[in-house]
Amino acid sequence: MVFPTDENVIVGLDRADDAGVYRISDDLALIQTVDFFTPIVDDPYWFGQIAAANALSDVYAMGGTPKTAMNLVGFPIKSMDIGILRQIIQGGVDKLTEASTVLIGGHSIEDKELKYGLSVTGFVHPARVLTKKNLQAGDQLILTKPLGTGIINTAIKGGLASDELIDTVTRLMATLNRDAAEVMMNFPVHACTDVTGFGLLGHLAEMVAGSGLGVHIQANRVPILKEALEYAAMGLIPAGMYKNRKFREYMVDFSTSVDILIQDVLFDPQTSGGLLICVAQDSSKDLLYRLKEKGILWAEIIGEVRTEPKEKIKII
Amino acid sequence: MKKDIDARGLSCPAPVLQTKAAIDSESPVLIEVLVDNEAARQNVSRFLKSQKYQVSEKRNGSDYCISGKREGEAVMQKKAPEISKSQDAKIMVMVTTDRIGHGDDELGAKLMTAFLKTLKEIGRELWRLVFLNNGVKLTVDGAKDLVSLEELEKSGITILVCGTCLDHFKLLEKKKVGETTNMLDIVTSMQLADKVINI
Repeated sequence: MVFPTDENVIVGLDRADDAGVYRISDDLALIQTVDFFTPIVDDPYWFGQIAAANALSDVYAMGGTPKTAMNLVGFPIKSMDIGILRQIIQGGVDKLTEASTVLIGGHSIEDKELKYGLSVTGFVHPARVLTKKNLQAGDQLILTKPLGTGIINTAIKGGLASDELIDTVTRLMATLNRDAAEVMMNFPVHACTDVTGFGLLGHLAEMVAGSGLGVHIQANRVPILKEALEYAAMGLIPAGMYKNRKFREYMVDFSTSVDILIQDVLFDPQTSGGLLICVAQDSSKDLLYRLKEKGILWAEIIGEVRTEPKEKIKII
Repeated sequence: MKKDIDARGLSCPAPVLQTKAAIDSESPVLIEVLVDNEAARQNVSRFLKSQKYQVSEKRNGSDYCISGKREGEAVMQKKAPEISKSQDAKIMVMVTTDRIGHGDDELGAKLMTAFLKTLKEIGRELWRLVFLNNGVKLTVDGAKDLVSLEELEKSGITILVCGTCLDHFKLLEKKKVGETTNMLDIVTSMQLADKVINI
């Protein structure tokens, strides 16, 4: 399919990225993104927060600052108490307020299944747009949130997760990527994305495709929620993980020492996951230090960009 | 006793949960689970293995039949099995001295040599080594245990060396192994580690 475009489209549909970017003037571009989904946690207020953090994340991943947002709601008004919707929207609004973003509208329809999400618009300088492209040999890769939320959400759906774990994961998913993005702005970052439905390796595959370069990941450096490994061993794995693996495994070379459970977590679809930052080698330790100083304690350098294997990911 | 479960038409995690419920309540010796998608096949198969069943699979058109067989007296295992040790624990070792223990210094130094040489036996759980105070002297030019430390670093273990301490002993330029670090990194490491061993 061919999509209409014009000379002011900086990032459009032709290159799958986190959000679209459109130049308004020489020093201002608009970032636009939309995301919505069915509930992933039982608590409506927290679901609202997570949906908002997730939608805002795409703007942060593009190097921008979110400014305005609109609600998207599908609600089974005949079978569900409207108070639930109020709590969801309150959660969304509170998260937007934390992100200094204003809610200026929205639209709701009747739906058999509850859905909530937002369309978010942000600003960025046209020369400072961060995309998934532009990897350079030697760059270091930093991940700012641990993996495993997809598997743990599956265990939560199955009623197998403890209240404590539900609380940890909920807070993690509701955490804005704003602080990480603000820290990253002061460093020579070459590329960035946020880790969501395709899992870490799916998103890395998008970064490495067409780059002419390869990525090396050190499995034991990747931050992972321990419980995800336990649940993966029990087969509490979302179908999305198997899809992600099937779709991208031809690009991934696992060393034999990488446990199958860890492989699963590396392909696990994430909700409101962390930023995957590709930074110039000599700045990586400083950036990591500043991220931790800002309270982003899960952040780790997980690997690096090399010239080989071309357009593949090697996991050791 | 054989238990049959038809989990066709169900998406994950429902097939695993049905299987789990059957095992929890009846603990069957034989169990057969019918599923109709790839994710459910792999998940149910994994779950049965985690519960110590011997698993075999048969394909029937677009359906899969997963059979599990358990030794009669095998004990039900309710918890997930131990995960391989690559990821589940992070052990951090803090070395604040260049010799082990008090008493004879010569013996203490020998013990340290043996300690650093043997440390790798912890295996993949060994995550970070932090050198503080007199410990930093083990990381500088001429230190006799450098080889052991370099080997550890090569195997992927992070070695952090206290910058303030190196500076205090005027050894900043002489450090041969590891990354110079600060107290924030050390404190953060302690927080992230599952176990901190203090020498």
